[in-house]
Amino acid sequence: MEAELQSLKSEALAGLEQIDQIAGLEEFRVKYLGRKGEFAGLMKQLGQVDPAERPRLGQLANSVKQDIESAYEQRQAALEAGQGPVAPLCDLSLPGRVVPVGRLHPVTQIMNEVCGIFEGLGFAVAEGPDVETDFYNFEALNIPPHHPARDMHDTFYVSESVLLRTHTSPMQIRTMENQTPPLRMIAPGKVYRCDSDVTHTPMFHQVEGFLVDRKVSFADLKGVLSVFISRMFSADTPIRFRPSFFPFTEPSAEVDIGCVICHGSGCRVCKQTGWLEILGAGMIDPEVFKKVGYDPEVYTGFAFGLGIERIAMLKYGINDIRLYYENDLRFLSQF
Amino acid sequence: MKFTINWLKNYLDFDLSAQALADRLTMLGLEVDSVTNLYPELTGIRVARIVAVQPHPNADRLQLCDVDDGEGVRRVVCGAPNARAGLMTALAMPGTVMPGGLVIAAAKIRGEASTGMLCSASELGIGGAKSGIMELAGDLRPGQPLTEALGLRDTLVEVDLTPNRPDCASVIGLAREVGGITGATVKHPVAAPLPALTGSALPFSVEVRDREACPRYSARLIRGVKIAPSPWWLQRLLLAVGLRPINNVVDITNFVMLEYGQPLHAFDFAKLAGGQIVVRRANPGETMRTLDGTEHQLEPEMLLICDAEQGVALAGVMGGANSEVSEATTEILLESACFNPVSIRRTSRRLKMATDSSYRFERGVDPDGTVRTLDRATSLIVELAGGTVVGGGVDCREGLLARPPIQLRVQRCAELLGIALDAEGIAAHLAAIEIPARQLDGQTLEVTVPGFRVDLEREIDLIEEVARLVGYNELPTTLPVVPLSFADRDPARQLRARVAELLIAQGFSEAINYSFVTEKHFDQLGLAADDPLRATVRLRNPLNDEQSVMRTLLLPGVLENVRRNLNHQVSDLRIFETGKVFIPGAAELPREEVWLTAALAGRRYPGSPVFHFGQGAVDFFDIKGVVEQLLREMRYDGVKMVAESQPPRYVDSGSALGVLAADGAVIGRLGRVHADALKGFGIKTEVYFLELNLTALGALAARPKSFRPLAKFPAVRWDLALVVPEGVASGEIIAAISGLGESLVEQVELFDLYQGDKIAAGFKSVAISINYRDLDKTLADADVQVVHRRITDMLGTRFGGSLREN
Repeated sequence: MEAELQSLKSEALAGLEQIDQIAGLEEFRVKYLGRKGEFAGLMKQLGQVDPAERPRLGQLANSVKQDIESAYEQRQAALEAGQGPVAPLCDLSLPGRVVPVGRLHPVTQIMNEVCGIFEGLGFAVAEGPDVETDFYNFEALNIPPHHPARDMHDTFYVSESVLLRTHTSPMQIRTMENQTPPLRMIAPGKVYRCDSDVTHTPMFHQVEGFLVDRKVSFADLKGVLSVFISRMFSADTPIRFRPSFFPFTEPSAEVDIGCVICHGSGCRVCKQTGWLEILGAGMIDPEVFKKVGYDPEVYTGFAFGLGIERIAMLKYGINDIRLYYENDLRFLSQF
Repeated sequence: MKFTINWLKNYLDFDLSAQALADRLTMLGLEVDSVTNLYPELTGIRVARIVAVQPHPNADRLQLCDVDDGEGVRRVVCGAPNARAGLMTALAMPGTVMPGGLVIAAAKIRGEASTGMLCSASELGIGGAKSGIMELAGDLRPGQPLTEALGLRDTLVEVDLTPNRPDCASVIGLAREVGGITGATVKHPVAAPLPALTGSALPFSVEVRDREACPRYSARLIRGVKIAPSPWWLQRLLLAVGLRPINNVVDITNFVMLEYGQPLHAFDFAKLAGGQIVVRRANPGETMRTLDGTEHQLEPEMLLICDAEQGVALAGVMGGANSEVSEATTEILLESACFNPVSIRRTSRRLKMATDSSYRFERGVDPDGTVRTLDRATSLIVELAGGTVVGGGVDCREGLLARPPIQLRVQRCAELLGIALDAEGIAAHLAAIEIPARQLDGQTLEVTVPGFRVDLEREIDLIEEVARLVGYNELPTTLPVVPLSFADRDPARQLRARVAELLIAQGFSEAINYSFVTEKHFDQLGLAADDPLRATVRLRNPLNDEQSVMRTLLLPGVLENVRRNLNHQVSDLRIFETGKVFIPGAAELPREEVWLTAALAGRRYPGSPVFHFGQGAVDFFDIKGVVEQLLREMRYDGVKMVAESQPPRYVDSGSALGVLAADGAVIGRLGRVHADALKGFGIKTEVYFLELNLTALGALAARPKSFRPLAKFPAVRWDLALVVPEGVASGEIIAAISGLGESLVEQVELFDLYQGDKIAAGFKSVAISINYRDLDKTLADADVQVVHRRITDMLGTRFGGSLREN
């Protein structure tokens, strides 16, 4: 048995030397090392030898097997190495094979970015219906019928009392009706105004946000929006708050940032003012709290709303709002 | 609201540049839209003195004028009879573009050189119908710009007012705001002393029948008025802010409206039947012709100013043609009234008449200001149009409501704004804009709101004023301290985001289309007349037919996108949209469902050169793969793709499958868009699509993720080829094998299909490989054999197939 093992070893090692193609290796492996190969055949005899000899022969068999295996691996490695890129198979400057990947619409990208910032501040996210009642869109927001503020909203009507929401603010009411403070929420979505020209599309996207608790102040409003702007644009973006009017907030503010195009020196985009209006905001009007049954003496809060298309235009330098809804792949693939 | 800087300076002293003033106003919440210099077309015109005049040698009516232009003497040919030596006049230098567009150039006129033009006032667009060149004051200096010499140099400022600030629809209101920041006090114009409004022994009467709609009505009668054009200063101001001068009386009412924000109306008293004014609601069926010549059908809610017989003005909106002031007018009844904002707004909306007057009334005018403005306008009429004021006058003020003072708590103000401002500080800020506040105690102020601030009704309104006057940017900036809580996410939004992620990974780009569409889409898709998708939520006031109904499916929008891209030679298309559709129902609001629709067209491997993958076009199995991948990744195991019993007409039923939930509900479909629909949308290439109801999908249970141990023992792969009639669905064969529930069967895979010479016609060979594995031991051939036999027997019985022999 011992002699047979030794001769198997030398025969195998010599055979290995003869192999000069990777293809030949498999035949070798099957012949010597396979389940029905020569080594396996020898090992079957191990059961028949003198039990006293068995441990020694077993050890020997193992070392023979290891020797053959390691020689086999070395040969394999050598052959594979020799087969390396001796000469280029083809023109490597050709483009690679690409699995196509699509893009999110730039409006969605900005929307996600905006929502992400507020989610980071612990704001919940909820969407509401696009087709709304007059009550949620106007009345409950302190805009009664025949209020001049309705001029600020060119409204699409479905019936006397049903309309396409002109802002995402109805979600303030829908949320406050069903929950109690403290509340922190943003409501992203589509809004509609019957207005269409170079700077307006009849549908666009807004994110509404609000925070209600005890002792929330205008200073808090400034703080949260400052954090938002520094994240959305950059930490050194100038910000200013100026008085404005919305029926559902008081005090009301418009928030401007330093023009991202000219950095304040004046350009066409900022109409030479150096500032760009990007947000409307304010402290939630006590009348709104009364409509949802909150005591305005106990709770205060702020709300804000911003237009996504405008921010995308500023961030990406898009100069025509109509491009958003043409869905030209030459446009969509840029972002 | 437009005003000029010089006009504003009539009421307030300030030393700010126009731009600085504009910035301050903007920061007070009175957003300045534009700041423009007036008379830019006059910049090339200068004052010049005629030094000498001699007749033109070749023309009788022309003269040769030597003109001192301040820098030297130049020769100008002039045809005006009043050109004479010593006259100070206006000279347009060569290169000047005249208001009419004429470019002045050096030229020879009848053989004589002329370098410039001497101008008349009308040529310069600054009034005056008199012929001849301008005759300017002799103390002017040649060379001086004409705008400076005539005080025409002025700047126009336009403010975009928010609806709560009607007080600033007036130059004096704006002056008050500017005074609030500079500390200066407003100088009101002084009206001449006029007879008190006693209301007795008058040649006219006023009766207000609806006091709620007309809380106050003040009027005076002026006799002996001479209607004529206004003086230039008045015309100039009106022109500057975009109003057309009409005559002295009408111009004065407009001027005082702009000055104080109080609209006034002048009636030709001779045309008022019975010398009466009656303020009442319109009668049913009543009509009226307004100044602009329009005949209006009135409704009973509309407020009318009437004489003894008929309506003579639409209250607060526009005067009537029947009582209009004309050149023949000598008696003026001047009205200064206060109307209910809602009433005026309703009338203005209903009749689609938005006027300077209705703008102010519907936002609210100062109920305390009617008499002051009446007297101001009366004085001006007496001064500029002659006439005498009839003693007395009317002031009906029974409808006025008292405005109780407002209590303002110092602490509330401090808490809301986040600043420490004491009672004195608050009172000082309010006083700066003429709002008196009295301290009740150290903690409370009692504020009496003046009439001109109709918007201030509550404590919060006053707090806003304080914030505004302090300056929003001077207020502190803090972060709120709030209890920590988990912020919920919107599940529908998350589902959409996940779906979008999976589609993007498969090369699709996201589109967003309008939610409103044209009904023509349904015809383009070829929908039957009674197709439920035709039931839409319809807009009452669409911008156009293309956007008149809310969409009930996304496919039309996506097909429009396909066509648009094809038209722009982008032909490898992978587009998807997730968005709402709107389904009308019995409830007040329609049901809103979120759907996914994707379209696929063009080459299968668009990103790589042809020599890598060839240029094979996409087919049904590409879109099917997208759906399979989506369902697999989202772990909706129960969702099946099977043929729909009644597919919609826009799918090619030969290459389409429905997507069914486990309960059999159709929640979507995929396949090839029907050729007729493609034609309907003008698309000349095959388009594959999928649509999925994400709202329905989101309601299904996804298979939870749970770990299965990795197999320790090897698997063996046995292949079989089954020859079956070609009508047998391969998917059913696979499903039948899996359906046996053999525990050793790990995976069943279809790896080849064959039809051809080697097998009988009408049959196909389906090659399947089965992976067998025992989790507990290495499989022996014999064990596999038993199971494999059961499978082949079953297949033979069930599908009438035979094992293929090579």
